[in-house]
Amino acid sequence: MEISEYDLIKAAKSGNHSAFEELIYRYDKSVLAIALNFVQDRDTAKDIYQDVLIRVYRGLKNFEMRSEFSTWLFRITTNVCLTYKSRQKKREFISLDERFETEDEDFGKFEIMDSEPDPGETADSSDMGEIIRNAVDSLSVKQRMTFVLKHYEGYKIREIAEMLNCKEGTVKKYLFDAIRNLRKKLELIYQTAY
Amino acid sequence: MNHNEFKKRILISLFGELSKYEQAELEEHLQSCEECRQELEQQTHLLSLVSKHKTLKVDEKLLQDARSQLRGAIRAERQGNHLLDNLAQFFSGLVTAPYRAALSGVAVLAIGLFLGYLFFHSPQVTLINDNVKPASDINFYENDVKIKNIRFIDPVASDGEIEFTFDAVKPLHIKGNVNDSKVQSILTYAMLNEQNPGARLNSINAMDSEAPQKFDKDIKDALITVVVSDENPGVRREALKFLNKFPYDEDIKQAYIHVLTADTVTGLRIEAINALSNLTKKALDLKQSEVDLFKQKLETDKNSYIRYKTKTILQNYN
Repeated sequence: MEISEYDLIKAAKSGNHSAFEELIYRYDKSVLAIALNFVQDRDTAKDIYQDVLIRVYRGLKNFEMRSEFSTWLFRITTNVCLTYKSRQKKREFISLDERFETEDEDFGKFEIMDSEPDPGETADSSDMGEIIRNAVDSLSVKQRMTFVLKHYEGYKIREIAEMLNCKEGTVKKYLFDAIRNLRKKLELIYQTAY
Repeated sequence: MNHNEFKKRILISLFGELSKYEQAELEEHLQSCEECRQELEQQTHLLSLVSKHKTLKVDEKLLQDARSQLRGAIRAERQGNHLLDNLAQFFSGLVTAPYRAALSGVAVLAIGLFLGYLFFHSPQVTLINDNVKPASDINFYENDVKIKNIRFIDPVASDGEIEFTFDAVKPLHIKGNVNDSKVQSILTYAMLNEQNPGARLNSINAMDSEAPQKFDKDIKDALITVVVSDENPGVRREALKFLNKFPYDEDIKQAYIHVLTADTVTGLRIEAINALSNLTKKALDLKQSEVDLFKQKLETDKNSYIRYKTKTILQNYN
């Protein structure tokens, strides 16, 4: 029989690590999906995923269950996504100042960020996919987040408003603006295809 | 309702969020408005185009990789909290509730002063920069204090307030013996938390530069965390090499098995299988589930050397 979320949260708050894992595993795929669709990069999405869930781990003792756990979790997720780029710029600046060397030839090629090409990314080598990704990427962070949450992840406008801690009207405005901007960027493509 | 309002409803309708009444009103309007019908078709086509070229999905491998890294990060977090919790528990048991808050504050201040005295006056550790002040005296506006890692908890100032945290960092210059426990604590922290992989690597190599006088459990646990969760394979390799010098135990065995079964870098899997194959059968002490993992490795690993060594280990068990 599945344990209720309330009992899991209580157990996790008292230090039960298995309960914490079970609790977050009910939602972590969604956290990762939001991050992945927002930043369009697997490694960065994993960084955001870890950042979010470490914050949840640290903050759970102060979570008073005044809102749904999922609301609180996804609010942290959207905040971390929205502020990720500005934090990342500072880290990249520091990392580039120091070289990483190793004596061993086999590992010499593994520099600061080593990852094999993502099959999903290399498979989509068409110009269209890249143009569309760039168009979505060019939206402002809030327009992009709202568009990702609504169109890619299927959350309701009311849920998105809770995650972003704003009014439903504001969410609708972000969506309208996102669509208008995407149409401008993609006008040539979809008019040709349409 | 005016025409522009109907145009705005079209997008909300495509997302399925109009009420039945609103949807009916919109459909009635569409019957007589060519402009809105075109708008509906264009928006439908745009959303369809964007959906069709959505390429990145969360697959099982990505999810498991992310979970594996998270477990390592949480373990590092727990190790950091462990000492503080023990101290807090010890002092809270000494006094009754009314005096606890006041005496806890005094105790923490005394511990801070004592640790500061030990740290800065130890003959093995010389502080080059002697302009160090207690943390409570750090002024954010001093030239050498840097603000980093601003993290917004509530960035939307709709009510006039925002909430955020940040790190106020003051650089320190330290010179000391690598076997000093205070120096080792800093190096252990660095190998787990430094963003730059070169710094993590240097921390591991610094501790590995001399034979350790004693095999510290905290260092061993930190090395295991690095081996199973660091994103950089060079760092994982150095941690694995250092770990090989520790007295073998169940934790180290599990770390080797994790590398053998989960690490994507062939060189690291080779290091792990070499370490495991150097052990006697009694020392290795594989459980049935672990034997099954080895059998799976024999079938699935792409590297012939690893398959050969795995087969040798399994033969010793039959």
